Amino acid sequence: MTILLKNGRILDPSTGRDETGSVVIKDDQIAAVGENAACENPDEVYDCTGYWICPGLVDPHVHLREPGEEHKETIVSGTQAAAAGGFTNVCCMPNTKPALDNPALIDFLLDRAASPEAGGVFVAPVGALTKGMGGQHLTDLAALKRAGIVAASDEGFPIQNARVMKQAMEFCFQLDLPIMAHCEDQSLAEGGCMNEGGVSALLGLRGIPRTAEEIAVMRSCLLSLNTGCRVHIMRVSTWGSVEIIRLMKSLGAPITCEISPMHFSFTEEAVGEFDTRFKVSPPLRTQADIDLLLQALSDGTIDCIASDHSPHAAHEVDVPFASAPFGASTLEAVVGAALTHLTHTGVLTPLQTIDKLSSTPAEILHLDAGTLAVGETPVAQATVIDPNFEWTFDRRKMSSKSRNTPFDGCAFRGKALLTFCGGEIYRDADFPEEERYKSAEMV
Amino acid sequence: MTRSLLAIRHMSIDDIGTLLDLAADFKRKVATGEPLPQLTGKSLGLMFFEDSTRTRVSFEQAASHLGLRTANFAASSSSMNKGETLKDTILTLRYEGLNGLVIRHRESGSPILAAKFFGGPVINAGDGAHEHPTQALGDAMTILERKGRLSGLKVAIVGDVEHSRVARSNYWLLSKAGAEVRFVGPRTLLPESTSHLRAMAYNDLLSGLDGVDVVMALRLQKERMTGGLLSSTQEYAKLYQVGKEAMRYAKSDVLVMHPGPLNRGIELDDFAADGDASAITTQVQNGVFARMAALYWAFRADEGAKVKVAEAAS
Repeated sequence: MTILLKNGRILDPSTGRDETGSVVIKDDQIAAVGENAACENPDEVYDCTGYWICPGLVDPHVHLREPGEEHKETIVSGTQAAAAGGFTNVCCMPNTKPALDNPALIDFLLDRAASPEAGGVFVAPVGALTKGMGGQHLTDLAALKRAGIVAASDEGFPIQNARVMKQAMEFCFQLDLPIMAHCEDQSLAEGGCMNEGGVSALLGLRGIPRTAEEIAVMRSCLLSLNTGCRVHIMRVSTWGSVEIIRLMKSLGAPITCEISPMHFSFTEEAVGEFDTRFKVSPPLRTQADIDLLLQALSDGTIDCIASDHSPHAAHEVDVPFASAPFGASTLEAVVGAALTHLTHTGVLTPLQTIDKLSSTPAEILHLDAGTLAVGETPVAQATVIDPNFEWTFDRRKMSSKSRNTPFDGCAFRGKALLTFCGGEIYRDADFPEEERYKSAEMV
Repeated sequence: MTRSLLAIRHMSIDDIGTLLDLAADFKRKVATGEPLPQLTGKSLGLMFFEDSTRTRVSFEQAASHLGLRTANFAASSSSMNKGETLKDTILTLRYEGLNGLVIRHRESGSPILAAKFFGGPVINAGDGAHEHPTQALGDAMTILERKGRLSGLKVAIVGDVEHSRVARSNYWLLSKAGAEVRFVGPRTLLPESTSHLRAMAYNDLLSGLDGVDVVMALRLQKERMTGGLLSSTQEYAKLYQVGKEAMRYAKSDVLVMHPGPLNRGIELDDFAADGDASAITTQVQNGVFARMAALYWAFRADEGAKVKVAEAAS
């Protein structure tokens, strides 16, 4: 079967390609890319005039909630949401119930992700660093690696003991596994539910001081520098964290970091009247932080964007603010938020935007993804984006099982309309089929 | 038509004025034995998820004066102990036909959630560290009686402001009325940021009391402090007790207030608590009238800004 993506703006950060052209997918593989790419008798033709053709997007940080919390999301619904968001590859976090701390669970996860009802995207598992996420005893990391993890993490249960983390890094260095670090000092953060500042004082809510994140970021960077272990710092939210990362990178620490769309779209003011849709960890900060986070995106200090997709069921979030769980269901809003707040505002060029959404996360996690180059990926992965499409995010139209999203009602400019992983796995309702899609049968 | 009373922060100075007028009028009527307007046939749920005798009894008294039937819910016997969510509990009360709800809850923002689902007037009787509107109304009433005005007064709120809903509600009411509010306390017990709660912060008691007209001492909330915010109550008392010596720094006719219950010898000494400057007993009395005003204002929203108070019992 041959698919032709015709006449779009090809944005491939892995090769630096930014030109008008076409992409040919033949028998699930990228067969040709570029100005002169063409094919005879394609089975399907998508007219991509005015659209971007990008490598399939890669999300390094999602919570699929299965096993154990299937009322929030399942591997099937989560991967469907990923495809709807333009992603062909997601890294799923280990803080499930039970945690992904043994190879059998990794096998289970990969099995489910490959099932026909699932979204058709690749799921790269991230293993637990410690048994049961207890922060004490290391898991059998070599066995987990053989089972298929691409990284290890303490997500959701940040390791508080520096010695445990140092030893974890020593093992991961040896196994060439990056650690995705949840940077939070719990002695400072515990009991807090939003940024410690003017709004928490106003609402009478216990705050989480920024130092809770920054102290832990500094620790992770120093240990990374010391052990040589690659460390990816998840969810930076403060200007202090960015300064620390910039400094430590300049000293040679093998660190990378990510930002979630929540943290560049909203400040703590968005909490408003105790709106639990804006309860995230780390918490939303101030405009001063956003200004410096945007700068850090521009200058490359922040390497990539991650959704931190954290679905929660409706009855779990309709509670008083301090009791509500942290996190939002964000997979389907990432592209809209990134294009609206980063590309169209000039913080990032289109190529840089796609780099942060695809090529760089793929590189950090050593995934066979994030590129449109021929022969580089086991299966063709491409996302077609209309960068100028204006739409309003509507939570009622989400594919995710959970609708806890702060982006409901947000006006976006830019939407992922088509997702290809092998063949087409997602076609958005806003893709104008009549004018732009032709299949061989129709002719 | 009805309305909720959730936070002084949300209210206009006009509404606050109406409530204070109502409260003063009710006080006068009760003293002279004139008939009070009756909210006949209406039922009021008193949902107290936190221990409270004084506030609950105060609301019961207020409800009784206005002819409201009350139904009491104590936290210990609540269905929420069986795992029911707050939302479902509120909906149950709604469908059981309660007309109004008074709610006290440990978590800030709970009354706002309750108002979303209850479908009738909700009165906040204290939510976490957020607000305690009827306390502030009663306190303002007391200040007005003793000082004749609110505007232009200097008020020092001393103690654990960070965890205090009384401090916040009073800050809002007094600021909206044109008073100057100061927070006085150790750094660990004052809000980290005053960008949204714009009061001058003082860590030194004597500077904080300099020239003030009113001192409000807050209860040292032992149950709300976890780990290390203070070394000992003795140290706190040495630094922040409002007593005879400290009062010399305030104006000579300074008013001393405390929302209760009082930790004698810690927040106030006997001179401050029992002397002529103290308005504590008046605060307790006025609490009932402030709550009557709150209930009436909430149930009778259709009567517009100036509520007709001369209404005979039906």
